[in-house]
Amino acid sequence: MFLDLDKKERTRIAAIDDSGEALTYGELCDFAAEFRRYLPERALLFLLSENCHGSLLGYVGCLAGGIVPLILSARTEESLYASLRDLYKPAYLWAPEAMAETLGYAEVFRAHGYVLLATGNAPVAMHPDLVLLLPTSGSTGSPKLVRHSLRNIEANADNVRRLFGLTGGEKAMAILPMHYTMGLSVVASHLLAGATLLLSGRSMLDRGFWSMLKEATSFTGIPYSYELLMKMRFTRMDLPRLEVITQGGGKLTPEMFRALAEYARDKGKKFIATYGQSECTARMAYLPAELALEKTCSIGFAEPGGQLSIVDADGVETFEGEATGELVYRGENVTLGYAYGVEDLQKGDENHGVMHTGDLARRDADGCYFIIGRLKRFLKIFGLRIGLDEVEDLIKQEYKADCYCKGDDEKLVVLVTDSALVDALPGFIEEKTHLFHKNIEVRLVDAILRNEAGSVIDQ
Amino acid sequence: MTNLEALNGIFCEVFSVDAGALGSGFDNRSVEGWDSVRQLSLATAVEECFDIMLDPEDILELTSYDNARTILARYEIEL
Repeated sequence: MFLDLDKKERTRIAAIDDSGEALTYGELCDFAAEFRRYLPERALLFLLSENCHGSLLGYVGCLAGGIVPLILSARTEESLYASLRDLYKPAYLWAPEAMAETLGYAEVFRAHGYVLLATGNAPVAMHPDLVLLLPTSGSTGSPKLVRHSLRNIEANADNVRRLFGLTGGEKAMAILPMHYTMGLSVVASHLLAGATLLLSGRSMLDRGFWSMLKEATSFTGIPYSYELLMKMRFTRMDLPRLEVITQGGGKLTPEMFRALAEYARDKGKKFIATYGQSECTARMAYLPAELALEKTCSIGFAEPGGQLSIVDADGVETFEGEATGELVYRGENVTLGYAYGVEDLQKGDENHGVMHTGDLARRDADGCYFIIGRLKRFLKIFGLRIGLDEVEDLIKQEYKADCYCKGDDEKLVVLVTDSALVDALPGFIEEKTHLFHKNIEVRLVDAILRNEAGSVIDQ
Repeated sequence: MTNLEALNGIFCEVFSVDAGALGSGFDNRSVEGWDSVRQLSLATAVEECFDIMLDPEDILELTSYDNARTILARYEIEL
C-alpha cells in the first residue's frame, strides 16, 4: 500500500489537526478503501486542500487508490481555479464542505468535513506513471504544474526519513500547506515513518499554533517562518519536546542561520538546513546538524539517495573539489516534468532522473554546497552583470527593508514598500553596483507578493 | 500628528483601507487577508512608530483594531 500505511499499527496516531481530534493509521487505511469505492480507476481529481484531516484523507485516498489529484490551495484565487478547471477538466473534486455549494456540482459522499463532487467531465487520458500534480513552487500565480510518479513520492519520503532518522515516535509540526511541495514532503515522510503529524492551518500568530508547537518534536519552516519565530522570541521559550528545527524554501540570512545554529547548540537541539525544488519532489540536499555552526548558509550535501554536481561555465561537470556553476541533481525524486495543459498529462518521464536546477552554486573543499544565486536572475546593463538576488541582499542588509528586484537589460526595477527608500535607493545601488542611477527605477508598492507559504513570487 | 492618527495610519497602510473603516468591527475575522504576514508587519510598524518593544503575548493579541488600542494603553501610549 502507499507508504506502507497498512503495515503500521492500526491504533497508532497518524495525525492531529486543529480540531484536536486524532486520526489513526487504521482509520487512514479504512478511509482509503472507502474512498476508492466511489471513484473510477485513474480519475483526475482536484483536491482543494487545507491543512486538516479531510485534506490528508483525500491525499492518502487518491494515492492509495490510483486516483490522480491536483492539489490546490482551497484559497486558490477564483480566476486561477477557473482556468485550471477549464484547462484540465477534472472528473471529481474533493473540497471542504463550506465550499461545496459554491462549486455547484453533484455530491457523491462526504466525510471529515470534506465532500466528493462529481463534475460530469469525461475521463482524460493520462500516462500510467502519473500519480500526482502540484502547482510549481506552491505559487498560486501560475497554471504550470509538476507531474509526479509514485516512485518520486516514495523516494522523497524515504530520503527524508533517512536524513532525519525519523521514527514512529516523532510528532512533526506540519504547518506548510499541503499544496506546497515541502509541506507534502513533511506529510509523506512522516507517514512512511509511522509518525504523528500535527497538522495545522492556523496562522503562526494564533495561540493554537503555539500550544501545538509545545507538543512537537520537530518544526519545518521556510525563512519567513523563522523570522516570525524569532520575533516571538521562541529561543527563550521552554520547548522541551522540540528536538529538530529544519528549514527549506529559500535562503536564510547569515545572521538568522547563525542564530538558529547557536540556539540549537545552546539548547541541545538540531538545526538542519535543507534545499529543494518542487521539480524534485521537495528535498534534495541538507546540511548535517553538526556542521550548522561551521558552514553558515550551506545546503550541505545531497540527501541519501541523491547526488549533486556542478556544471561550470565551460560545461564541465564535476562531483568533488572546489567549483562554481549550475547545480545539478540526480535521484529518483526528480519528477517526470511539467504540464501546461491536459495533453501533457499523457507525457512520460522527460527528466530521466536528472535536474539542472537553474541555481548557481559553489562547492567548497569539504564538498559542502552553497547556493549563491539563480542563473536566470541577472540583468546585463551596459555590459554590467547585475545579480538581482545580490542587489536585494545589499538593500536588505543596508536598510533592513523588504524589496524585490526585476527588470530587463535596459533598467533595473526595484519594488519597495517603504517610501523613504524611493529617493535613497538609486544613489545607494549606483554606489554598490556602478550602475548609472538613470537605469534604476524604484517603485513604491503596497506589498512584496508572497505565496501562501511566504516565499517571494515573481511579480 | 496625534498618536491615534499615527496608529490609524499604520492600519490604513497595512490593510489598504481608509481611516473610516477602522473601528470595533475591524479584526482578524472580518478583515479579508489578515494573516501572520500582516499581523507581524502591524506589530513592527507599531514598535517603530511608538518606540516600544511588544511582548510576544501582545503580538498574539494584535488581532483587532480595538486590541491594538488596549495594548498601546498598556505601554502608556495615550490615544
